[in-house]
Formats: sequence, C-alpha cells, structure tokens
Amino acid sequence: MTGVEMLIIVIKTVIVVSVFMLHVMYAQYFERKVIAHMQARLGPMRVGWHGILQPIADSLKLFLKEDIIPSSADRPIFYVAPIIGVIAALSSLAVIPLWEGLGVANLNIGILYILALSSVGSYCVILGGWASNSKYSFLGGLRSSAQVISYEIAMGLSLVGVMMMAGSANLSDIVKAQSGHWFIWYQPLACFVFVMSAIAETNRAPFDLTEAETELVAGFATEYSGMRWALFFMAEYAGMFIMTALGTICFLGGWNGPDFWIFAYVPKIVWLVLKIYGCIFIYFWIRATLPRYRYDQLMSIGWKIFIPLSLANIVVTGLVKIIWK
Amino acid sequence: MTVNEFVKKILFIEILKGLALTFKHMVTPAITRQYPAERREPVPGSRGLHALVRNPLTGKEKCVGCGLCAAMCPSQCIHIYTSEGDDHKKVVDRYEIEVLRCVFCALCVEACPYGAVALTEHFEYSGYTREEFYYTKERLLENWDKYMAGAKGEEYFEKFWRPKSVDFATAAQAVQAKERAGQ
Repeated sequence: MTGVEMLIIVIKTVIVVSVFMLHVMYAQYFERKVIAHMQARLGPMRVGWHGILQPIADSLKLFLKEDIIPSSADRPIFYVAPIIGVIAALSSLAVIPLWEGLGVANLNIGILYILALSSVGSYCVILGGWASNSKYSFLGGLRSSAQVISYEIAMGLSLVGVMMMAGSANLSDIVKAQSGHWFIWYQPLACFVFVMSAIAETNRAPFDLTEAETELVAGFATEYSGMRWALFFMAEYAGMFIMTALGTICFLGGWNGPDFWIFAYVPKIVWLVLKIYGCIFIYFWIRATLPRYRYDQLMSIGWKIFIPLSLANIVVTGLVKIIWK
Repeated sequence: MTVNEFVKKILFIEILKGLALTFKHMVTPAITRQYPAERREPVPGSRGLHALVRNPLTGKEKCVGCGLCAAMCPSQCIHIYTSEGDDHKKVVDRYEIEVLRCVFCALCVEACPYGAVALTEHFEYSGYTREEFYYTKERLLENWDKYMAGAKGEEYFEKFWRPKSVDFATAAQAVQAKERAGQ
C-alpha cells in the first residue's frame, strides 16, 4: 500500500467520522423534538430558531463541565470504558457502504464485523458499570451484559436469512442483490426480529433496562459526568445509527431508490440517509409510545420468542431456496 | 387464550393503536405556551401579590387595625401594630406582610369586615433577598395604586370579596324591621 492510498483512506475516515458525529449530535435534537411533539410539547425552542443550536449549546456545556470521578472507582477502567464504546461504534462505520463503491472499506465479512463490534461496544457499559463502584451502575452493567448476549444471538440469526438470500456477507453485495425487490418482502419475520433486537442491542426504550431511570438512577452512567458521560451518549446514538444503517442495508435496499422521472437524478446516498432517518424516527416513535419492559419479560421475549422465530426463519428460507432453485 | 386474543397479540394490535395515538399527537399542534413571550391574562379574582386598599376619600388605608386578618391568617404572616391617636381613635402604625410565608388562601380578604386588604392579580414578582418580600404598609398601598386602582378594585370587591359590612348591616336591619313589623 503506497503512501497516497493510505492518505486517501485517512482523509475518507476523517470526513466520514466528522459528518457522522454531526449527525449524531443532531439526532439528539431530532429525538427531543419528535418526543416533545408526541407529548404535545414543543421541545427545545430557545437556542436559535426553534432551538436549532441546542445540540451545540449542550455539547459546549458537557465539554466544560467538571469531570467528577468517584474516589473508590477503578480509575483506569473508568477512564477507558466510554472510549471503548465510542471507538466500537465509530469503527463499525468503516464498512457501511454509502453508495456504490463509496465507503471507507469494502469488507467481505461486513455483517460479521458489525456484529462483532457491537458486542465490543457492550463492554463499555459493563466495564463502566463495574468500574464506577456503585450499586446502580453495577446492576446496570450486569443487565446490559445479559441483555446483549441474549439479543445478539437473535440479531445474528435474523441476518443469516439475509445472507442466504444475497449469498454474501459483504454489505455492498447485499445492497446490489436488492436492486429489484427489497429483502423486507422476502424476510418480514427476520426484519421484525432484527428491529426488536437492534433496539435491545442499543439499549433504547422499551428495552433500556441498563439505564432504567425509574429503577437505577441512570444505570451504568450514574457516576459519569461531563465529557465522559457525553462519550457514552455519543456511543449510544452512534450505535443507533449503525444499527439503522445495517437494517436499511439488509432489509430496505440500502442506497436503492426510485429510478424514474426526476428521482433518477437524485444522488443515491440521499435515499440511504432518508431511509436511515426514517428508521431512527421509528426508534423515537417507539420510545415515545411504549413503557419499559420488565427485566424477566425482556429475557423471556429474547430467548423464547425471538431466537426460535429467527431459527425457524432460517430453516424456511433454506427450504425455499432449495425447492425454488 | 382465544383465537381472537392470540391473533391480536401476534399482530401487536394494542401496540399499533398506541403508535397511532402518539403519531396523531405529533401532527396536532403542541399546547405549550412560550411563557415570557406569550403571556396569559390572569383570571379575574386570582390570588397574587397583596395590597392594602386605599380609601379614595381620605387617601389613606381603609384598614382600621382590628386585627381580624392577622388572627385568621393560617401562616401568621400579617403583623399589625396600632396605637391610640388623637381623640382616642385607633391608628394603624405598621401593617406588614411577610409574602414569602403567605399561602395565598385569601382568608384575610374574607375576614376583613371593611374590604381593606386584597390580593391583586399580579403574580410575577421576584427578588434576591428576603427583605424584598417583607411588605410594609406603604408598599402595600403602592401595590393597590399599581394593580387595583379605580374600577378594577371596585369590581374585585363587588364580584369576588364583598365585605361583610356591606351586607350584614342591611341584613340585620332587615331582620329588625321584620321583627318590628311582626309585633
């Protein structure tokens, strides 16, 4: 690999990460607005026009806040935990294809890579909860580990159907295989299981057991403040973007969009971004509607419904592929 | 579980209903008022900052210093000091209200036989020290001039806190007149 190629990769990475972080910042504004309007409120209105500068004000506040570390915390792990989360979330970004050939890396095992990194991301919650040396954080961390383990299986299995349909684990190839029909029509069950598992995987309502405010103060993030808390926050939203991007690519046809009339001149990346934001809106919509599941309900849904469903889905997909060959 | 219930459960009918409800609320306008920019007129007769009624004839307070309001006050935040003036009349030297202790029950207004104390509609007051909320007689009279002077004050007592002296005198006289007529 020559120096120029490496430089190009570095530039690509910097562009993708910075644009992505901006989206992550504004996803929080988007969430506050959507949920506020669903509750007949207005949401942020003060900073800028309709509160459009609120995320900037918030991040300034978080950057300048005092960094409090509990005296009995396990310091090295306490420092490292939020960074692991952000790194895991941002590294997954590398294999997301934004357009034909437009992406930081074109990996043959893109799906596996994202699944692996989302498991690494759960370390940030577990380690953060452990290192804080507080009972709330500890319980949040423990719940997270159990939740992630059980839902990772269902999520991985639900994507197996997609891989069987596309015949590849490369995300670009999966999108190309959907140029005719999106996989959501062939794999509705897998799509459903994926959406639910993705919500559980990213610790969002109604499966936000790790930071259940009503029971655990703020769960794993109880002892974190300022910049470190902001890193956890970023990791959560970045994880949401990664999961919705993965869902869009695997089930909603990625960058494929309408090909007629003036739509044909729209850059394809626009369709991908629109679909991702649509999925993120569904995240917020669900959060504004449903109450939190109880912990044992969460576990029994994962093990007794989602995993058998996705296994059955694989069997049926395989049988259909053999018969219709 | 009946078949109907089972179908409802696997199709998430209840959850879809909930989602439809939240979506409907999202597209209907929010009910929030942007407070400092969009203000609401206070309801007439609402209980805000205190005032001592200024008698338009004498230009002084109507209060005679009977102390009924202070006796009635559940949070005991009214302090009245009187002395004997010329021709043995009671003079109100100090009439003071600790507004921070007040619970705005308006029992003082109800107790006053002369309609001499009032709660104005002014509710947006703030300050940095306790002393700012210790209202002396002069400040309470100023409050009346500021918020309740003229027709507004008259309407306030006419509609909401009619002093007992207005009706009771006539009612007692009416009873006496009736008794006399019966004899």
